[in-house]
Amino acid sequence: MEWDWDFVWQIMPTLLEGFKITLLATVLGAAVAAVIGLGLAIVRRSPITAVSRTVGFVSEFIRGTPLLVQLYFIFYVLPDIGIRLSPLVAGVIGIGVHYATYTAEVYRAGIENVPRGQWEAAKAANLTTRQAWIHVILPQAVPPMIPALANYFIAMFKETPLLSAITVLELMNQAKSIANSNYRYIEPMTLVGVFFLVVSLISVLGLRWLEERYARMDD
Amino acid sequence: MKTRILASAVSISVLAAIAGGISASAADLKQLKEQGFARIAIANEPPYTAVGADGKVSGAAPDVARVIFERLGIKEVVASISEYGAMIPGLQAGRHDAITAGLFMKQERCNAVAYSEPILCDAEAFALRKGNPLKLTSYKDIANNTNAKIGAPGGGTEEKLALQAGVPRERVIVVPDGQSGIKMLQDGRIDVYSLPVLSIHDLLDKAKDPNLEVVAPVVGAPVYCDGAAFRKQDVALRDAFDGELKKLKESGEFAKLIEPYGFSAKAAMSTTRDKQCTAAQ
Repeated sequence: MEWDWDFVWQIMPTLLEGFKITLLATVLGAAVAAVIGLGLAIVRRSPITAVSRTVGFVSEFIRGTPLLVQLYFIFYVLPDIGIRLSPLVAGVIGIGVHYATYTAEVYRAGIENVPRGQWEAAKAANLTTRQAWIHVILPQAVPPMIPALANYFIAMFKETPLLSAITVLELMNQAKSIANSNYRYIEPMTLVGVFFLVVSLISVLGLRWLEERYARMDD
Repeated sequence: MKTRILASAVSISVLAAIAGGISASAADLKQLKEQGFARIAIANEPPYTAVGADGKVSGAAPDVARVIFERLGIKEVVASISEYGAMIPGLQAGRHDAITAGLFMKQERCNAVAYSEPILCDAEAFALRKGNPLKLTSYKDIANNTNAKIGAPGGGTEEKLALQAGVPRERVIVVPDGQSGIKMLQDGRIDVYSLPVLSIHDLLDKAKDPNLEVVAPVVGAPVYCDGAAFRKQDVALRDAFDGELKKLKESGEFAKLIEPYGFSAKAAMSTTRDKQCTAAQ
């Protein structure tokens, strides 16, 4: 059980390749989660009960089932009905939609925190619903949510190794395949941990800054 | 106070038991006899290794191992399913006492573990779509066709053969198990799924898909043999295993064990560990 630095340098380029895919999957997944989450939150407030109920049920369903199962479903079952996505696209959609159901709650809380009077004022100023959303409600609702959203994105980053189950060659999968052909787990798995830790620590610092910048705006 | 002393005594003895478990990881025959079972690593790749719906372990490799361990006085084998690539690290880490999974002898593996004499021999095969649209008959063909994607088990022989033939990493898809391999082939995610001949036949028999066909043996790929693999320091156990294996082979029982699965006893008996381990690959 000895640590071999030569081996570390030898496998570093392969791990970095995987790390790029991990970051790519996180960034794309975060974008999907941010956009779809907002959509879910707005549609869920729809005055049409059937619509808001359906969306509510769908998000409960997605939140109540494991991400791994959803990934398998998207990757192995959807091709049966003619939808064949590449591993990375399937992974980004899976992880993005899964986290969208969580970010939707953050958006909802943010939107509900905007005082009723703002809606009434928007109406009194003769703004349409669309204008009220874009110019009045969202600009006030979004900044306080940023730290909470960022928190979910960090959590999502740490879930990306699940994508290795659907053959995405991200960091974890690369490390596994290195371990598989060299019969050594200690260096590749330690490095995977280090990569994730470094990014998480940097993100935590960023998160603190975001909190100071946005969360206490109305104090 | 008394209970606290008792509790700490219990926890110390638990710790000692755990530590004992760790130090017992280097297996010798006497220890295995005393504990009454040997832990073997298997895959789930019929006909090499198979786990039935009821959890019963069969397949040619565990069957041979079970008989030999029994004759050595070890009544039972306890099998755990593992990825091919994780077997040798698992063996080295003391999670298994032996690997009996159709893990083919290759030079680098021979350096890492102590193999028994050859047990199961097989050539490599491709499963692909009917009519072989990309005209693939060797790993080299896959390397030369920039559109062809090959699926293979992670850390398995086929993955290494494909990489050695020059197929770039991004076109060698690591497939978790046989069923997913066939599914990915049917869905067009991969163009070729490569496994040993008997495994491919077994999978396709089960899949019953008229749109798939087999290329076997793969042109230019050698015939490989597996053996039971032991830790380097457990050579004594390996030698005992070899002794019983030799007797099985001579008595003809060996053929009776493996031939129903489709393996050739003659192929295994006509070669040796030394030849397999040093063969140019």
